[in-house]
Amino acid sequence: MKKFHFLFIALMVFASASFVGCNKDEETGPTTEKISLHLHSMVGTDEAAYGITYHDGSGRQFNLSDFRYYLSNFVLIKESGEEVPLSGVVLLASPAAHQYELGEVPSGSYKGFRFLVGLDSATNHTDPTIYPADNPLSIQSPGIHWDWNSGYIFMKIEGYVDTTLNADGSPDFEYFYHVGMDELKRTIDFSTSAFEVKSGADAELALEFDLLKALSNVEMRTENETHTFNNMPLAEKIADNWQSAFSVMPE
Amino acid sequence: MVKRFLFVAVLGTVLIQQWACKKEDADPGDAVMELSIPVGFPYPNIPSDNLPTQNRIDLGKMLFFDPILSRDSTVACGSCHLPEHKMTDVLALSTGIDSQKTIRNAMTILNVAYQPYLFWDGGVPTLEQQVLAPISNPHEMDYDVNLVVERLKKHAVYPDMFQKAYDQEPTVYSFTRAIACYERTLFTGKSRYDRFLYDKDSSALTPSELNGKSIFFGERGECFHCHGEYNFTDYSFRNNGLYEIYTDSGRARITLDPHDNGKFKVPSLRNVALTPPYMHDGSIATLEAVVEHYNSGGKANPNKSGLIKPLGLTESEKKDLVNFLKALTDE
Ligand code: HEC
Ligand code: HEC
Repeated sequence: MKKFHFLFIALMVFASASFVGCNKDEETGPTTEKISLHLHSMVGTDEAAYGITYHDGSGRQFNLSDFRYYLSNFVLIKESGEEVPLSGVVLLASPAAHQYELGEVPSGSYKGFRFLVGLDSATNHTDPTIYPADNPLSIQSPGIHWDWNSGYIFMKIEGYVDTTLNADGSPDFEYFYHVGMDELKRTIDFSTSAFEVKSGADAELALEFDLLKALSNVEMRTENETHTFNNMPLAEKIADNWQSAFSVMPE
Repeated sequence: MVKRFLFVAVLGTVLIQQWACKKEDADPGDAVMELSIPVGFPYPNIPSDNLPTQNRIDLGKMLFFDPILSRDSTVACGSCHLPEHKMTDVLALSTGIDSQKTIRNAMTILNVAYQPYLFWDGGVPTLEQQVLAPISNPHEMDYDVNLVVERLKKHAVYPDMFQKAYDQEPTVYSFTRAIACYERTLFTGKSRYDRFLYDKDSSALTPSELNGKSIFFGERGECFHCHGEYNFTDYSFRNNGLYEIYTDSGRARITLDPHDNGKFKVPSLRNVALTPPYMHDGSIATLEAVVEHYNSGGKANPNKSGLIKPLGLTESEKKDLVNFLKALTDE
């Protein structure tokens, strides 16, 4: 037993020494810098928040009680065309949070990036109970996992809406848009939005997501419920709006 | 690379060694067991993080029959999967919390260790993940698994049982594992048909049942294509022509593919005589009526399997086929 422990420790020292070796080699090349996402969820020109009354494109009143969405599979594209995937990074965006860690990337010039709204199929069907509680994919993130098909809700939008014909009532009808399932993940492409990761400084991607644009062709009075599987056309309509709902913020 | 491999190998060996040392003074309930499975059955695949031990099985069994998992503590897994009815409830649709009806018929969970995916539509990939579904389903238990954990932590005996079984306090991870571990011990496979097949006891089946067997496994009935092998299912999704228009889209609910409309996972036929009514919605009451359905060739449906066509069975052949199905009941 003793001998074994010794061997183990020796190997561990050996192994970590060789890792340090790797880092040394890179000193001549670019540095590695932290990168984060600065994200604002908006309703038109207003910040999205729960309990505030907004107006949709037609002037109809609605509010939000839950608004969360998964962003994943970020890929940064270097000037050379080389792609830097941020594998394993999954964010659960919500109105209250603006800063999300993306990981570390080599410094240099990038010509753009892309990411998914939603999750890749493998991640989408993993067991949500295996993640630690603070992971966005954990079962402790309430109400964002469909247990009957073992998949995540990619974007959850819930609240109350005025359903009167002339839009002259108050938001008292419960609506919900639960958009998910493998088919509805969408790649958001900003492959021509150049940015710089400077040596010795943290980098940031700044994005805005406008809910009004995501619902631009949705008639909230009549189209007010989808669990995706039971109202695929409505879920698809919202997913197809995601690209246009995102915009890169000027630095 | 080689270094890293060596490192991982050594780490692995050390971990195994430590685990082995720990086992020496551990209680026997913590030892990994071999499941005793019916003759002629393969050994099921079991996830490496949930190998069976007596402590885990005991814990899972207690949870399975405990209404603590439901919002108002009235509904247990065992309320709809009853041992006295071969782990079904012999109802067309099950009764959940607040006397609500489920949308589908509860199938047996005997031999569930072999199911490659769960539910009539195959929407859930593992037995561990399946546990989440009835708990959050508003028609069944209508509760939150995180609140279940809070209850379990406060319970008089569960925390200790979890410590023994999974070396941790109650968590969603450990309680879903425990229930799945128990479910994987539920086998069925000792019918007169098995006696005939494996014990070579030719007197185990009557002449009528033998004739039914030929119809079932031959071109007269074509049943074996879907209901084949040791569990009388190939686990495929098929449309057997129950309806022209299905109100339940079945497999298409998961794949969203219209070609999967009305396709359901082929059910096992073991103990089928004891688990009426039949089909995903419990719409057929008796085995005689099931055979009548197949004999008619079913309803017209674009997704209906080509194997479902009028069979032209005589009255006595229909009886023989029913008698054979009844010989699949465990002795
Ligand atoms: C209210 C009744 C009810 C309760 C309570 C219930 N079930 Fe079920 N069970 C069903 C029904 C109905 C189905 C079929 C549902 C479907 O296919 O959509 C089913 C299906 C299953 C299956 C799938 C079997 C297969 O071959 O695909 C498993 C496993 C299962 N239940 C285990 C459990 C466990 C574990 C619990 C407790 C956590 C539980 N059930 C609680 C009614 C119930
Ligand atoms: C093409 C595949 C296929 C063939 C062939 C087939 N079945 Fe089925 N069987 C199914 C499917 C799928 C279901 C469930 C359908 C549903 O619930 O909508 C089923 C259901 C059943 C059930 C109900 C079981 C339960 O627990 O609900 C019985 C009994 C049955 N079949 C017997 C037979 C017999 C006898 C034959 C031959 C005459 C046969 N089947 C041929 C696919 C098939």
